[in-house]
Formats: sequence, C-alpha cells, structure tokens
Amino acid sequence: MMLTCQTPIPDDMLLDYWARDLPDGDEMNRVEEHLFTCGDCSARLHQMAALGAGLTALVRQGRVSGIVSRAILNRLQRDGAQVRMFWLAPGETVPCAVFPGDDVVVTALRADFSGVDTVTLSVTGPDDSPFGRCDDVPVSGPRGEVLWANPAALLRQLPSMRLEITLTSTGGAPTELGRYVLEHSASTPSA
Amino acid sequence: MPTIVDSGDGDLARAVAGRVPGVAETAEAELYRRFAPRVRLYGLRHLRDEDEARDLSQQVMLLAIEKLRGGAVRDADQIASFVLGVSRTMAKDWKRLKWRREKLRETFLSASMVGVPVPDATLDIDHLERCLARLADRERTVVLLTFYAEKTGSEVGRELRLTEGNVRVIRHRAIERLRTCMTSRERGR
Repeated sequence: MMLTCQTPIPDDMLLDYWARDLPDGDEMNRVEEHLFTCGDCSARLHQMAALGAGLTALVRQGRVSGIVSRAILNRLQRDGAQVRMFWLAPGETVPCAVFPGDDVVVTALRADFSGVDTVTLSVTGPDDSPFGRCDDVPVSGPRGEVLWANPAALLRQLPSMRLEITLTSTGGAPTELGRYVLEHSASTPSA
Repeated sequence: MPTIVDSGDGDLARAVAGRVPGVAETAEAELYRRFAPRVRLYGLRHLRDEDEARDLSQQVMLLAIEKLRGGAVRDADQIASFVLGVSRTMAKDWKRLKWRREKLRETFLSASMVGVPVPDATLDIDHLERCLARLADRERTVVLLTFYAEKTGSEVGRELRLTEGNVRVIRHRAIERLRTCMTSRERGR
C-alpha cells in the first residue's frame, strides 16, 4: 500500500490498539485522533480488522486445526458451535466418530505435566504414517490438558483407521508423557 | 481543477456549516464517505460487533452533519475531533445498552440462534485458512486468542505462560506472516 501519511502509526502500535493493549489515556487518544484524520492509517486498521473478522469466521465455521486453548474452546461453545469432545488418559484407547451437525472435534489429552512447560504432540496413522504434529505446545500446570482440534468436515472424509498420539515433553531431556489411541470410525454417507 | 474529493476536511465542514438540507449535498456525501468507515472501525474496536459498529457509524454521521448544518460545530477545521468525540459518547451509551441487551439475550435466546458474522467480502477466507495453517502452533494460538477469544496480551500471556512482551512479539510476527501470505496470493492473481 502506498502511504502518503507522513507520521504513520507503527504497525505494532496499531495492533496493540486493536487488541486493547494500549492503555486508556494520552497515547490511545493520540492514536484515535490520528485515525480520524488520516485515511491511510485508517485503511491499514481496516485491513487488520478484516483479517481479524476472517479469522473469527474461520473458527466459528470449525475450520481450525491444531492445538486450541481452553479459552478458545469455551468461546466456540458459547458461540453455538457443535464441538465433539473425546477425553483420553495415557494408555487409553477410545472409539471416535464424527456425527451429523458436528463442527469441530476436540481430543483432550490428559497426562502428568509436573515440571513440564511445553510438549510435542505427534500423531501417526496406519503403518506409522505421519498424520500430524504440533511442536512447542504450552501446558497450563501439572493437571492441565492438551486440546487437539480438527474440523469435523475434514474428519468426515477419513476412512476408518487407528490413530496413535504421543505426547512428549520438550526441553532438555524429552520424556514421553503418554500414548493414546483413537479408533476412528468412518462416517456413513448421508442418504 | 480540484474536485470535492481533494478538499480538506475543514473545507468540507465549512461547505456544510449553517446550510439547510439539500444545499450542500455533495460536501455532505463526501464527509460521510470519508468519516463513516473510520467511525465504523472505532465502533468495531470498542463494541466488537459488526452490526452495532455499522449502526454507530450511521448515527454518529447523521448527528455530526445535523450539528454542522445547525452551526453547532465551532471550528470546522476540527471536524475530525468533533466526529471522534461524538463517536466516543455514543459508543459509551451503546456499551451500557449492550450490557443490558446481552443479559436479556442470555435469558431468552440460545447461543445457536445468534448468527455467524460475515467476513469482509474482499477477503479470500479459503486462502486465509491455508495461511493460518502455515503459522507455528504458538503463533496460531496467540492470533486466535487475540482476534477470536478477544484476549489482551496479558490475558494471553497468563494462558500460555508467556510474558506480555513475548505475546506482543509473537502476535506482531504472526500478523506480519499472515499479511504477507495473503498479499502474495493477491499478487499472484
């Protein structure tokens, strides 16, 4: 974007403003005064807001893969998304399937996270084929959980299969925290 | 020859000031075109609701033009500050009303009955999904906590056991990556 503004608001400040990280006061007043007088910076904020609206729409449609936090999960449920949850403890095998109307499937993995800050989640399919991997996943305390989300639309396309999930602590000496198995049943095609 | 689009904000405000409706329609339309999107963004930032932000921008602009016509804006060159001031006052009232409305909604409507917001029509949401998937897990979580869960930097930090400063750095980098990914697609069109 070609800017004619001589004193553009820096990108990080614009982002802080949008994310409500700019404290109320002189700085926020200056940013808002500038946004009301400057078409260029206002257009940049518009782009950022459009990106945010797009991200929100994606999540609400269940089109989000990977690790989600409890706050995102709570928000999804509050927004009326149909979330199918499967809870697994280390060593457990759980049958799973996607049902009509589901938007997102979340696998909640429990383990003893004492002394662990971050973990790696790796998923393998039939014949040990790699299915997914998430690195550097933060855990929230010793009795926390790791929430792995997948769009229901994506899982509906999978054949019946066995998925093995491994959680490993990251850091100095990686330690296996748990192995989990999902026995996925393929969705029956709707009539 | 300079057109109305080239006029400064103050010139436009002066063209409208003290005039009866219908006399300065072109200047009024240009003021609306220029400021309504800014008020909408202000509304989105403070109210976090697309419909309310759009309504706010209409009401603020109607009031601002009415005040201009009535000669109630003392300094035409300060029209931007005037519009911002009206936006602030109206958004505050709106928030109070919103709080009351949400209490009523929670009582009488289930969440699934409330519509999903429509993203910007110019945004390629399928491509955004691919760009989001390319982010590192931590970046994606920070971005979603910020834009979807509407958490501040310190709240995200508490959830992910990061410092607020660290969250801001990750967030800034992630948005830059998303933006680059989105524009590279636009250039390729």
